[in-house]
Amino acid sequence: MPFPTESIDTAIKNGWIQVIEGVTTKTTWHGKHYTCNRCFNSNQVTFTTFECAQCETTCAYCRNCLKMGRVSRCSELLIWTGQTPIYPTNHCMNWQGNLTPSQQKATNELLDSTKQGIPHLLYAVCGSGKTEMLFQPIHYLLNEGKRVCLAAPRVDVILELLPRLKTAFPDTVVEALYGGAEVERFDAQLILATTHQLYRFHQAFDAIFVDEADAFPYTADETLQQAVKKAVKPNGPIHFVTATPSAQLLAMNKKQGNISILARRYHGQPLPEPRNIPLWNYEKQLKKKKIPKKLLGWTKERLDKQQPFLIFFHQIELMELAETLFQQLDERICAVHAEHENRKERVQLLRDKVIPGLLTTTILERGITIPNVQVAVVGAEQTIFNKGALIQIGGRVGRSVPNTSGDFVLFHQGITSAMDEAKNEIRKLNKTEVQL
Amino acid sequence: MNCLLCDKRLDNQPTWQQLLGIAKMQSICTACFDLFERIDSVEEDEILDSVHSLYAYNEQARDYLHQFKFLQDIALATVFASELRILLNDPKKMIVPIPMHPINKRNRTFAQVEALLKAANISYQSYLQKTTESVMGEKTRAQRLEMTELFEVIDDIPNKEIVFILVDDIYTTGTTLRHAARALKSKGARRVEAVTLFRSKREK
Repeated sequence: MPFPTESIDTAIKNGWIQVIEGVTTKTTWHGKHYTCNRCFNSNQVTFTTFECAQCETTCAYCRNCLKMGRVSRCSELLIWTGQTPIYPTNHCMNWQGNLTPSQQKATNELLDSTKQGIPHLLYAVCGSGKTEMLFQPIHYLLNEGKRVCLAAPRVDVILELLPRLKTAFPDTVVEALYGGAEVERFDAQLILATTHQLYRFHQAFDAIFVDEADAFPYTADETLQQAVKKAVKPNGPIHFVTATPSAQLLAMNKKQGNISILARRYHGQPLPEPRNIPLWNYEKQLKKKKIPKKLLGWTKERLDKQQPFLIFFHQIELMELAETLFQQLDERICAVHAEHENRKERVQLLRDKVIPGLLTTTILERGITIPNVQVAVVGAEQTIFNKGALIQIGGRVGRSVPNTSGDFVLFHQGITSAMDEAKNEIRKLNKTEVQL
Repeated sequence: MNCLLCDKRLDNQPTWQQLLGIAKMQSICTACFDLFERIDSVEEDEILDSVHSLYAYNEQARDYLHQFKFLQDIALATVFASELRILLNDPKKMIVPIPMHPINKRNRTFAQVEALLKAANISYQSYLQKTTESVMGEKTRAQRLEMTELFEVIDDIPNKEIVFILVDDIYTTGTTLRHAARALKSKGARRVEAVTLFRSKREK
């Protein structure tokens, strides 16, 4: 608890804080039905009941948001109902870059929706400069004295956005919330947060922007979607920003909101189309300590041409098996996955050309820019590589001038519909206007 | 059902043993379970006739205890249920959990050792009562060694010949277990052994 008990007690006495129970119980004919009032989880499997020594009854707690401190039937949640803070209305925006005409058009549309309080979907291809397009709408809201949240499902994205927003809005109080963050100003006017952190907020923001709205775990976890809805004020808009919107997100914004599409990258060059190359029994060959011939050829070519490369794997075990084999080719090649603490450094080493290439899981599918990177996916037929993931992976290629194109190979054992859909979507986007 | 530790889906096939209730359903995935390092270390000293520690106190053990005790995730009590049951389900032995002070128990909402035993469906007798609120984990080795008696025995012990088995989550310097064993022996218990989940080797 970031506040002293005495001040909380006075606030409760003065009626500034509403106290609600942590977990609500509904008794139905087939037993008790629990709902967590913090994360709105009501999946009964994730509730554990036990004999509680505190409330001395059969108590239940929610395991969905356990990592943020346990919430049970006998714990209390506090909601601030007193005066809302008054925020400054004179914010300076320090951003010198220029938007291309199509970026400017999308930004204006987003700004109009923001003014009207209508949810907006910004559907912009990978490498089209999405973050910069948010600056003007955010600046408008800040100057209105509104409280704004920029949320993303992954910590990496938040950490990448924080310095950019801090420089863009130098006199605004900006705070980043994520697991393990040291937070000083919970009342900051502009909050960057992982979607998990929004469990903590109740009708706190005048507008929320959700970046990378299609990334795991946001789409898979319904409580995260509810958390976003809970964190915004009743009439506040929720804007989504993504390169690969789900059908559901498209349908929702078609019905209730506005959509802007940006099918061109900021440099105007088309997105690289994937090449499908069959690679049979790659798993077996790797287990026999042999790099499949076509993959070996591709990697050698990258090494000869001194092009940095990323090779995506669907499974950590298989990737680590391959790591030792690739190191025989060039000992600097290494692997990264979610549990590697130094993955940021390794990506930086790749950018600095200290490392010729990285093996990775889908953890690097989004948010990173490496000049002139070439990309291969091993086992593109695996279910983890859905349409969105493949488009994102392809989006790593050719992001920066002068290397506006590059190789994007899908090594597979059988083409899946996800692979076809990804290819078709990239083609469609390259022919500019997408039909929705 | 997802793994209680890493939240990955458990896709283990149901077996006949599980269906007939002989084997329990696994609550964590094999990858998480393999990270626990089974050591089965048995030690003894002048007061404790034997201390059997099942696992090493490695990083996985530390994370497990953190989630179980400090995040109060009582669901984790089931993780070692079958291992504890194999070891402790014996009518010839008297199982005595190391208790928590009532105030500490109220704050944690449960007593972790009792929760472990309940999850394993092992009957036990709470003969001991903690006399101080102080917690071992917060003390240095020197402070631990000069502690006065930590436990008192509540009831009279009916059967003094039976083997008493103290159960605790972790065995570090052994101060807690020795205090408990001394309390039982002062009431006439002949043989006091102990079983702990983890053995921490670090010396403070």
